[in-house]
Amino acid sequence: MFMKRQLPIAIAAIIGFLTLFGWFVDEPNIKSFVDDDATQWFDILASFAIFLGALNLLKLQALKIIKKQKGWPYAALAIVGFTFSFTAGFILLGSYNVEISQYDDPAKVATVLASEINLDEKSAENILIAMPEGDTYTIDTPYFTKSGADDVVEKINAAGGTANMRATEWGSHISTRGSLFNWMFRFIFTPLSATMFALLAFFVASASYRAFKIRNFEATLLLISGIIIMLGRVPIGGNISSWFIMYIIVLSLSAGVNTWFKNRKYTLASVIGGILIVTIAGMITGWPVDQPAIFYLPVLQDWIYNVPNVAGARAIMIGIGLGIFATSIRYILGIEKSYIGE
Amino acid sequence: MEKFLDFIVRAGSLDRRYIFVVIALVVMLPLFFPLNLPIRPTVSSQTIYDTVEKLESGDKALVSFEYGPSTKPEIHPMAIALLRHLFEKDVKVYITCLWPDGQFMAMEAIQQVAVNQYQKVYGEDYVLLGFRPGNEAVIKGLVSNFRKVYTVDAQGNFLDDIPMMNGINKVADFDYLFSASAGYPGTVEWVQYAADPTGVTMGTGTTSIQVNEVMPYVQAGQIKGILGGMPGAAEYEKLIGQPGIGTSGMDAQSVAHIVIVGFIIFGNISFFVERRRSKKY
Amino acid sequence: MKDKQFWSVAGIIFVLFMIYWVAGHPYFVSERSVMFWSILIVGGVLIYSTRMAKRGEKIFLRTIPGLKAVEEAVGRSTEMGKPVLYVPGIMDMDQVETVAGVVVLGHVAKMTARYETSLNVPVSRAIVMKAARESCRESYLLEGRPDLFHNDMVHYLTDDQFAYAAGVNGIMLREEPAACLYMGKFYAESLLLAETGNSIGAIQIAGTASPSQIPFFVTACDYTLIGEEFFAASAYLSQEPELIGGVKGQDTLKIMAVAVMLLATLFNFFHDLNMISWDVLGFLTVQ
Repeated sequence: MFMKRQLPIAIAAIIGFLTLFGWFVDEPNIKSFVDDDATQWFDILASFAIFLGALNLLKLQALKIIKKQKGWPYAALAIVGFTFSFTAGFILLGSYNVEISQYDDPAKVATVLASEINLDEKSAENILIAMPEGDTYTIDTPYFTKSGADDVVEKINAAGGTANMRATEWGSHISTRGSLFNWMFRFIFTPLSATMFALLAFFVASASYRAFKIRNFEATLLLISGIIIMLGRVPIGGNISSWFIMYIIVLSLSAGVNTWFKNRKYTLASVIGGILIVTIAGMITGWPVDQPAIFYLPVLQDWIYNVPNVAGARAIMIGIGLGIFATSIRYILGIEKSYIGE
Repeated sequence: MEKFLDFIVRAGSLDRRYIFVVIALVVMLPLFFPLNLPIRPTVSSQTIYDTVEKLESGDKALVSFEYGPSTKPEIHPMAIALLRHLFEKDVKVYITCLWPDGQFMAMEAIQQVAVNQYQKVYGEDYVLLGFRPGNEAVIKGLVSNFRKVYTVDAQGNFLDDIPMMNGINKVADFDYLFSASAGYPGTVEWVQYAADPTGVTMGTGTTSIQVNEVMPYVQAGQIKGILGGMPGAAEYEKLIGQPGIGTSGMDAQSVAHIVIVGFIIFGNISFFVERRRSKKY
Repeated sequence: MKDKQFWSVAGIIFVLFMIYWVAGHPYFVSERSVMFWSILIVGGVLIYSTRMAKRGEKIFLRTIPGLKAVEEAVGRSTEMGKPVLYVPGIMDMDQVETVAGVVVLGHVAKMTARYETSLNVPVSRAIVMKAARESCRESYLLEGRPDLFHNDMVHYLTDDQFAYAAGVNGIMLREEPAACLYMGKFYAESLLLAETGNSIGAIQIAGTASPSQIPFFVTACDYTLIGEEFFAASAYLSQEPELIGGVKGQDTLKIMAVAVMLLATLFNFFHDLNMISWDVLGFLTVQ
């Protein structure tokens, strides 16, 4: 019971107080613990904890396949993907470089080299000739397998060159351009991630279509500011003249007049009067696209971004900051114990 | 007229897949038929540009890559544009990554700009320090003792053997700091633990969604300017005079936004018609 | 802790601290004194509110529709015979929001145990998986239904943000839960989850303190707990006096923060006019 109840709370309290008040202590060991070690301890724990998660994932997916539950092919795909990336990271080096140090006849060696680096033979020959004395030329893209690299080495050696295979160091193989892991990252992981993020564009459209309805005053405000920001933020907003916006305002106000007074004469008067005023003003000023600035979408968008938006964001941030502090104090003092299951 | 109103009411509860198809079309078509809409830099982007313009040849800039493949379309163009600007001015660029994916993004950016475009020399003009785990602990470590966090660069070279690392012992030794960030850890952590305490001038580029969170720091002057999403990238490309992916994406984004606004207006018309009918009956 | 014990401990700590302070407070970073005293005041207010609540003071908590709806959502799932999906965010236990999410999960698990509804909790971090499992296990035990609990109700998907979103979306589309609860720290995947939940007709309740994701949840979910409402969820659902007292303390602190802001603005105004020499901004700036 002590291990499950009192000990976790004691650890949370001690570490919490140490980290909180350690910031006020000018003692190197405490400062080092607070600034560096505390978060790194967590990172180390989290890194080892990944094994738990991975095993859990594999277990569940395997059970799905074994029991042929609904969607089991996806579980098989998950296991294949897991195995492939695990293999590319930990088991297969996937990065073997071929280095050419010498050649008797550059033209012959260039014949082999050209096919490996996707260039014509002349360009490959020039690369070899430009190689300084005593230097080596490394083929840009490493080979996934040792045998693949060895094959090329044999061909180059047979063509009168001197080539050898050099394996990339473990660790560097992750970030080496052209390695198996890098290939997986660039051609599988990157497009998949970008696709998922791109879905947001579609979902934003469908969410906006569904949710941006003029139900009440706040919803109307949300709608109008949303439209202004969406249009003002992109180049096309800069091409929408402020006079066009003024005409829309005139028509909207006239709709309001109609709703309020329910009188056709008043409505007609407001429409015609408004349009006349805007038209005359436009003709006098020469219809500048960005004047009056108060009706120019990019200027409006800037104002909404910088004034009400930031004010609201600040208020929420301050509230959230207080909430985080209060919640943290509850955990440190042991008032809130639900996170350990109590 | 009744039939038309019926159609509007039915279209109000349009299957979302039709919306997806329309959005897909309006995003794809401008990529094939560019509109070349003029791009107007905002004050935030201009501030970043002006700050970098003030840097001189030989100044040291720390650029941190905190984004991955998913946010690459938004942030990579601005990272590329910034690197171009820094290399144009012969500023020495030091690249760190707080995200593991960030190192791959940094490598691509370096290959495209430093190697292919400007033929800069590694170790003299730029250095890729690489990814370190630890989130804000890394930043705190860099602030107090750079070499405690980085003993070698991403290629395994000792920092002492890299000429441009001479004199670099903490964040305060840099003249400029830029964070290309898509989340945590990122801009907020850099400004809280590095830029503000040390007084190093900082700029940032974030996804459009994150601009909200970062704006209070920009307004307070703790961050000098912000590039917000792809529009921010396009604006910066315009300022440096080298259009790139950001610029080419703006046509598609512009048209997509207009279409979304159109959908919203149409949805509201349908909503009103339906409401009037339900009141009537 | 009883009153006598509390005051004894508080007294001892106070005496020790005064001795330390009078002795010249070695190793103390004096530039951060303002922050230090602020933390003590904030902590003191919270402890005071908590103790007052524990003594039986009646505290009014306004209705938070999102939290009231949690039980309705679980009930709806029970009626429809479908599971409840609970997503505790995508970050690890070092984020306070994730811990708050796990705490709320404990309360939701009590409801699912009571109503015998199946609960599915896909997580993004292994440590969160362990913590969430313990929380659910305890809840089921407290409700007297340990037989309904199984380890796999809390399962790990992946650390990667969008891979996790894809996995959760897949779960939603295959299992079609009747209620989807998103409680924790979210980033860009929030709208992906919420829209997919909407497409399957689930009732959705979200709670997050990520300012940039709140608008997406507000747009796409039926109920949203914004910022502190999420942190107050534990107090609201458990109705424990200590926790409710903490919420009241938070509100008191907010009033104090507003008062400080207004006073600081006033003092700064006078300072700018050279009417006073004291620079309040310099005083309040954290070193």
